[in-house]
Amino acid sequence: MRAILVVLPASEIGRSERETIGAARALATAFDGEVNVALIGPAAESAIERREGAGRTPEVSANARTFLIAHPMLRGYAPELYVSALEQLLATVRPDVILFPGRTIALEIAPRLAYRLGAAMVTDVIGLRAEEGAVVITKPVYGGKAHAMLVASRPPVVVCVRPRAFDPIEGEIIEGDVTWIEVALDPSSEQVRLLERIREESATGTALEEARIIVSGGRGVGGPEGFRLLEELARWLGGAVGASRAACDAGWVPASWQIGQTGKKVAPDLYIAVGISGASQHVVGISGAKCVVAINTDSRAPIFKVADLGIVEAYENLVPILIEEVKRLRAVEKA
Amino acid sequence: MRVIVCVTQIVDPEIPPSEFRLNAERTAAAEGIGQLVMSIFDENAVEVALQLRERMLEREPVEIIALTVGPPSAADVLRKALSLRADRAILISSEGGPVLDGVVVASLLKAAVARLHPVDLVLCGRETGDWHGGQVGPFLAEALGWACVTFVSRIEVIEGGFLMRRQSDEGWEIVWARRPAVATITNDETNVPRLPKVRDTMLAARAPIPVWTIPELVGEAAELWGTSGRLQVRELAIPSTSKACEWIEGETVQEKAARLVQALRERRIL
Repeated sequence: MRAILVVLPASEIGRSERETIGAARALATAFDGEVNVALIGPAAESAIERREGAGRTPEVSANARTFLIAHPMLRGYAPELYVSALEQLLATVRPDVILFPGRTIALEIAPRLAYRLGAAMVTDVIGLRAEEGAVVITKPVYGGKAHAMLVASRPPVVVCVRPRAFDPIEGEIIEGDVTWIEVALDPSSEQVRLLERIREESATGTALEEARIIVSGGRGVGGPEGFRLLEELARWLGGAVGASRAACDAGWVPASWQIGQTGKKVAPDLYIAVGISGASQHVVGISGAKCVVAINTDSRAPIFKVADLGIVEAYENLVPILIEEVKRLRAVEKA
Repeated sequence: MRVIVCVTQIVDPEIPPSEFRLNAERTAAAEGIGQLVMSIFDENAVEVALQLRERMLEREPVEIIALTVGPPSAADVLRKALSLRADRAILISSEGGPVLDGVVVASLLKAAVARLHPVDLVLCGRETGDWHGGQVGPFLAEALGWACVTFVSRIEVIEGGFLMRRQSDEGWEIVWARRPAVATITNDETNVPRLPKVRDTMLAARAPIPVWTIPELVGEAAELWGTSGRLQVRELAIPSTSKACEWIEGETVQEKAARLVQALRERRIL
């Protein structure tokens, strides 16, 4: 019997958190193991307030245990306090595998916790399987040009899963034997403090990671004005707007729009790449897209090698007409 | 004020997938498939250090030291840092040492930081452009017991600490960090790496680069050897990614747009 612990440092439960539990449950099935979930931070605090899971003893529970770790000092960005709180939990719970979602805060806490536990650590994990009692971990390396299969020689092993690589669970997060964990945190040990939080809204109101359709622009878009056109197309498609590193580095759009190895990894049903050449570091970020449409004036651009549908055309000519086509389609659908 | 920038040499991440090959053991990229270059986010880290020094010009002298752990060939990335006007560079030779996992590299960097005392700030790339681990920076902060901030794109010096602009999932955060600190650097429009001047590249090519050996830094530290091998690379595989692109053609732009919408509807995407 192996114990798997999912650690969710979150203010609210989103898709990444549900995917991480999904990854843990799939591994537990292969492993004959149990899944425990530790919710830490504001999401745990509000769960405690709502007394979620209290007094409920479901007959079949996918989680063996759920730990809720809340503290007023765990409300903002306070990585070392999170690490300290988790260290306290792990003094009593001894999992073989610890899973984190691939969010930026987790990518800071997980390696620090691994260091303290003396544990092996793998980020950007896309596959987990059990093999003769050992966990075989798959992650993309060399910008996705290869996949590495790694084996931890002894437990525990800490992994961060890549967003959109595992199927999210439906239903309850907080279930099984629910325990509130008291932690002692020392404010004088504070080494970093959050002063200000600046939210960058996506242009269309749809988050890139959640979007079913993404319209993305690169150097070929030529400037910030061109992105207005892509935004309009994305809005009519009910999608989000992304960008390549070149467009972000040029300052045309915010860095938070960036897709690729150096930005967000996305897996929409439809990815429309406009004026994007298709550098490896970009392509690795869209490897999970179901359908890729490339619009580029250069028919030899590498983006066409990963595209399902390709159009050689100047986007300035094509996109406005495409918007009209989509509008017409929407009008027909309404009628 | 002393700033260390940790840089790594990797195989050019922009080589096309068609040219990518694995070594005979299938545990890493084959040698010689591409140029060896400075890892992408390390370039941003150097840029952040240079900008910090420029902004501090009137207030406090800033010394930038580039460090790398690697084979003798890794001196090339130190020369790149010198050509961008890092003040000096040191190669920590990995020859004869254990497998360079994150813990080993962090232990060696920790020893180097002690030797370069007093150090105020250590910058690392957010992750390397080959194994994408993202661990050395946080490991080093843990080893040193210093403040740690990840995904940073810009740093200001204030009394007793730093103000760091940190990329979050939702946007940006401004974070105060106690001095000394470790920061891992991500890219944004404020830290696009500059190009070296020809004259500086020539000077860097001739600059002496001191080499520190592992025994010199950590002795025959058994603990260092004990940490490596916690994770074994079983095998690397090259995923099949090539798709057959269906070209949407037409006499006019109108035709192309209509055919694209049609193709997407046939695929039940629209």
